[in-house]
Amino acid sequence: MTLLEALDKDLVKIPLTSSDGKGVIEELASLYAGKKGLSPARTEEIVSLVMDRERLGSTAMENGIAIPHAKIEGLGSTSVVIGVSRLPVEFGGKEGTKIFFLVLAPAENPTEHIQILSSIARVCSSELFVRMLQSAKTKDDVFQLFFE
Amino acid sequence: MSGLPYSNILVYLDGSEGSMNAAMYAILLAKASKASLHAVYVVNTKALGDLVRSHIFVDQEKAEYLEDLKKDAARHIRHTERLAASKDLEITAVSLDGSPHKEILSYIKQHGINLLVLGSVNTIRSRRDELTSENDRMLRTAPCPVLVVREDDDLWAEFEEV
Repeated sequence: MTLLEALDKDLVKIPLTSSDGKGVIEELASLYAGKKGLSPARTEEIVSLVMDRERLGSTAMENGIAIPHAKIEGLGSTSVVIGVSRLPVEFGGKEGTKIFFLVLAPAENPTEHIQILSSIARVCSSELFVRMLQSAKTKDDVFQLFFE
Repeated sequence: MSGLPYSNILVYLDGSEGSMNAAMYAILLAKASKASLHAVYVVNTKALGDLVRSHIFVDQEKAEYLEDLKKDAARHIRHTERLAASKDLEITAVSLDGSPHKEILSYIKQHGINLLVLGSVNTIRSRRDELTSENDRMLRTAPCPVLVVREDDDLWAEFEEV
């Protein structure tokens, strides 16, 4: 599975409404849980795993992007949940974060997880792409950027 | 040399279902054409290094994923060896470290491979080169013919029958 195959327009939240890092993760995890029909307990477990990982070191990059992630036992396939905030959110980086890619991957497929994280990192190394992503207004705008 | 055009076949394993289909197809092809078969899994240490440099991974996480990837490599190599053995075919199966498409291209040159077998490649859905998969890169840059095995539900049954 590639990043493009993992993307789902229903898993894009724009704009994010939370103003703190944990709130953003909860917002994105809830969107994922709603789409996948997960229980509140399973959603909480996902938030915990992601926040535990963040405590090891923030995944915020220097360009206002963060890629929080976790490997999760029993997940069917890798999902990428995208959130765009109008205001910078404190997420442990030097600057505030506006764009979040929450990557949830099955523990059983490390290769796919690495491939998807690498693709996000590569595409977000383009300043132009990041600027366009930050100025996206709708889910369609976000999607079009990847598929153009 | 078998006298057939494809005497030295390489199948690339990446842990996906598509690559296991490719492995089965390559085994049947090598058996039928009396070719030598190589299976290579590349642990993507290049990507792990890049993820640490861009602060997406911490060192502890890199070590954990490296171990996961090496286990995945060993599991898929063992499985491919068992599949080959079930058809009485000798196979050279190895795990390498590095950038997958570069390692595969280097292996092709070093071992005189004249056919690369890949699992499915992606439909072109973006012009962005950053989103190109390793399989796509191999397909585009391999110095030898490339055979792409499409997803086929009947392949398991055919493999069992032969």
